[in-house]
Amino acid sequence: MKTTSLLLLLALFMSACSEKLVRVMPYEKEYFAEDKMSLSPIAERAEQEGHIFLIREASAGGESSFQGGCGCR
Amino acid sequence: MQIKYLLLTLVSLMALELNSFASNLKDSMSFGFNTYNDNADVNVYSPTFSLFKKVSHNWMLGFKMRIDGITAASISNGANGGHVDAVTGASANENIFDDIRYAPTLMATYDDGDNTLTFGGYYSTEKDYVGKSLFVNYVRQLNEQNTALGIGFSQSFDKWDPIFKRALPKDNRNERKLDLSINQLITPEFSIQGVFSYMYSEGFLSSPYHYVLQNDIAKFENYPDKRTGEAFSLKGVYLLNETNAMNVSYRYYTDDWDISSHTLNIEELHDFSHKLTSGLRLRYYTQTKSNFVQEIGNYQANDAYFATDYRMSAFDSYTIGIPFIYKVGRKDKLTASIDYYQTTKNDYIKSWYGVDSISAVFTTLNYEFDF
Repeated sequence: MKTTSLLLLLALFMSACSEKLVRVMPYEKEYFAEDKMSLSPIAERAEQEGHIFLIREASAGGESSFQGGCGCR
Repeated sequence: MQIKYLLLTLVSLMALELNSFASNLKDSMSFGFNTYNDNADVNVYSPTFSLFKKVSHNWMLGFKMRIDGITAASISNGANGGHVDAVTGASANENIFDDIRYAPTLMATYDDGDNTLTFGGYYSTEKDYVGKSLFVNYVRQLNEQNTALGIGFSQSFDKWDPIFKRALPKDNRNERKLDLSINQLITPEFSIQGVFSYMYSEGFLSSPYHYVLQNDIAKFENYPDKRTGEAFSLKGVYLLNETNAMNVSYRYYTDDWDISSHTLNIEELHDFSHKLTSGLRLRYYTQTKSNFVQEIGNYQANDAYFATDYRMSAFDSYTIGIPFIYKVGRKDKLTASIDYYQTTKNDYIKSWYGVDSISAVFTTLNYEFDF
């Protein structure tokens, strides 16, 4: 949990640096509304492959999404 | 103690500013059909459905349903068509599917434009396994929505019930996961996301069906009953020009079974028209072996742990895929994807499945619309 606490503190610190982190004005955000600019452009695929990689590989995490358990792991 | 700490953090974050600003919630529905087929005779066909309905300006309820129709796998290491499948838990019979998994998820979301809180529960049933989970996720928008901080927590309470009556040392598998994420817009054409995940599992963590078979030893798999892992990932999406974007992600994973892995994913998407977007994705994965797996044939009868699942050994995998996004109208969208997955050659795969490596094809097809 030490790492978790450090990351929480880092996040709170970054949230305080507000002026430097306002880098894109609201009227400049049009590209981020496009599908190709999404970090997960196909949600259904992300969910499906998240499950498959959990079954076929020994690693997990790194996604801020929830995956339910099943007996195929 | 950890749960108490997390709940306090969540309550503190929620108390920051729960104003009733503009909500991003909308009513939507989707229908999908996914498939998975590999050369180890595992075939899964999965219809999916989701419904999200606003119940007030700031609140929305959601329901997702996934049904997996699973056909039996064959096993070359001592099992036959009448035995239990080593991977799915399915047993061969005359039905179309050997096992069917039902996995509904219920959730509720609060959103006021700057704060998004989602929580819910998941339930899944198979012939030999029941999965139950609770999850909560909170995202706070900051810096004129240039920065988003997220925290998520889930806890599962799963239970094994093997098809052939075997007395397991434990029949539970409980998994806890904490995710911390930060998203930041860098320029009008570039954004990044960092995620840290902490995972803790305890209970019966191997398959109840896999076994080690040597000249003088016949033992079911036995792993340590606790596992702690951490994952760090960094993702970026960059607009190359008006019609092309590049999505790159890297993840490092490590755990106390001494398994560590690197995952690199690159995807390029191109707008072929104002309706159709497609491209190419490539993924590379490599992992080290666990500290208790041994070379095939090297186990001793008095060893504490036995592993024959290839996932406890070192291997690499490659994935190549093509995504499709087609905007049917202003409020509806059709998405599809097809991916080919291939592991490197592995002695454990050869021993258990009778093939040199795992090759798989998985597809998704989904239609979603707002109403």
